[in-house]
Amino acid sequence: MPTQMQLQHVRRGHLYDRIARTVFLCCAILLVIVIVGIFFFVGQNALHLFFEPGGATFQGFFGGTTWDPTGVTSDSGIPQYGALGLIIGSIVITFFSVLIATPLAIGVALFFVEVSPGWTITIRFFQPLLEIFVDAHQHALALDIDIIRFFQPLLEIFVGVPSVVIGFLGLVVLVPFMTKLVAPITGNSPVGGYGWAAAIIVLVVMIVPTIASISIDALRAVPMSVREASLALGSTRWQMMYRAVLPAALPALATAVVFGMARAIGETLAVAMVLGGSDILPSRFGLDTFFQPNTNITQAILNEFPETYGVSRDAYWMLAFVLLVISFLFICISRYFASRRVYR
Amino acid sequence: MSTQVEQITSQERASNAAMAGLLRRLHTGNNIAVGVIWVVAMLVALIFVVIIVDLVIQGFTARLGNTAVLLNPDFWGGTELGIASEVFNTFYILILTEIFLVPIALGAAIYLVEYARQGPLIAVIRFAAETLAGVPTIVLGLFGFILFSAEFQLHISRLAGALTLLCLNFPIALRLFEQGLTAVPRDLREGSLAMGASKWRMIRTVVLPSALPGIVTGIILSAGRIIGETAAIVFTMGETNPFSGVFTLNPLIASDTLTVHIWYLKTQDIPPGITAAEASAIAAGSAAVLIVILLVINIGARSIGRAIERRITAA
Repeated sequence: MPTQMQLQHVRRGHLYDRIARTVFLCCAILLVIVIVGIFFFVGQNALHLFFEPGGATFQGFFGGTTWDPTGVTSDSGIPQYGALGLIIGSIVITFFSVLIATPLAIGVALFFVEVSPGWTITIRFFQPLLEIFVDAHQHALALDIDIIRFFQPLLEIFVGVPSVVIGFLGLVVLVPFMTKLVAPITGNSPVGGYGWAAAIIVLVVMIVPTIASISIDALRAVPMSVREASLALGSTRWQMMYRAVLPAALPALATAVVFGMARAIGETLAVAMVLGGSDILPSRFGLDTFFQPNTNITQAILNEFPETYGVSRDAYWMLAFVLLVISFLFICISRYFASRRVYR
Repeated sequence: MSTQVEQITSQERASNAAMAGLLRRLHTGNNIAVGVIWVVAMLVALIFVVIIVDLVIQGFTARLGNTAVLLNPDFWGGTELGIASEVFNTFYILILTEIFLVPIALGAAIYLVEYARQGPLIAVIRFAAETLAGVPTIVLGLFGFILFSAEFQLHISRLAGALTLLCLNFPIALRLFEQGLTAVPRDLREGSLAMGASKWRMIRTVVLPSALPGIVTGIILSAGRIIGETAAIVFTMGETNPFSGVFTLNPLIASDTLTVHIWYLKTQDIPPGITAAEASAIAAGSAAVLIVILLVINIGARSIGRAIERRITAA
């Protein structure tokens, strides 16, 4: 028979339980509020651009190539809101950086998951030799570790290198080097090192660790039986990777690449520092287009947003909204691929 | 009869030769492919090692005055040449952000792991987390600017910066904390509940202490992201320091961090009182300091997490 005090104790426990549950639920709901808030505030400010006097038209924003929201560079002082050049800049550097980074990153992932574990076999082969010198069996086994456990933390450190540091190195080391390297193409332009090409190289450095890190998880999720089945049919190691492991991990690898794209298009500091900044879209596209100061969405926002107000500021909100929508699409695509994964 | 035998053997010989050719081709292909993978992996590893080493070397070769920037006492001081205020701001904003981040992200993680049942609400929360993780940091910076600086009247301040960084790090901290919580074995929870503990008591006394290694790892890894962030805090926390000085705990003043300082010195105006060469040297030194701080934090995260884990599993 429970006493009054015990009952009270239990009741209080239940009350605390319910309070704790509510508080935790609020924390989780906060996440939803933040993301809805981002879409609401950015979207609201962005759409002002199309509905306020002196604003832009939809076609003018996505079709025009003269970006001058404050109207300072033209003689008439009329603002121009053609963002096509900025959007093309973002898309070009994202596309090429992912194109270069993907094979590199998957190569790194294959090395860690498929090639380097072979090292333990070498150690086993040398084991009898080792045992002559080291009589304990233990020592040889101690070498028999998964090399990935040593290298994956290293990879994560590189994922965490701040973009401003990469941008700084790009500006100090890469840009002067590129200026000399591409002098024949640009006709000895003193600023030839700036531009899309430098931004692409900087982005490759930034997204290879991201893609590689997710790809490693993707490859490791493929069960051993897939490899064994392929090898038992007489495949070489490369045939096994190419015909069995990579197709089996394909949806997860696609997720990795889309994540890389999302990171590349939203990357700001590193890209902005080496793009060199100029709002004028090149009139024609050629090889030299890559080696001249250029711009993209994030750089325009970073450098010019604080100095604007009114309708011209709304133009930058619209740029941010475009960026937000593009990265949201990338997330949806990566979710689609993730849902098609066979092995987890 | 004998001609028939000869015919068969010659056929066999031909097919054997074809087989050998195929094998040779396959093995060559295999060797080339594995070789290419080797070269790619080594190249990528080399690039990253060179980047880290080069940053530190830049810190020692860039000259401020008569000495290398990292060895110049002025560089460590509080004047225009020094980065003392930036280092102080960096750690200030780190601690302020973690004060907001840890309880909120841990609370959300506890809800998702301990309380939530599969359902539309969980699906929505997970989708929100993934979407927020993919929002470009500069867009988050603008969001923080309009919501915290403008709507909440916090203006350009450390508090606005910390709240923006909270939004930025919420999804990743949530994921790391969730991993820490799910690593706690089910038996521990069942044992606690079987002893008559309420759910909150079980979480408080059993789950959280056992999940400590994961929680510490989560805190330290998010610390790395907070220290390295720039784009999200340029519009919310400011680019320069107030004249009254930054060595105060006042959360409502504007201030810059190491990352913002590097960006500002290299691409924006050079502050009055220093030359362009000095600005470059200070930026190089700051980058070296930043990368060393991050390396220490990253390596520290792993060893601390492992030490706590060992203590708990041994006890």
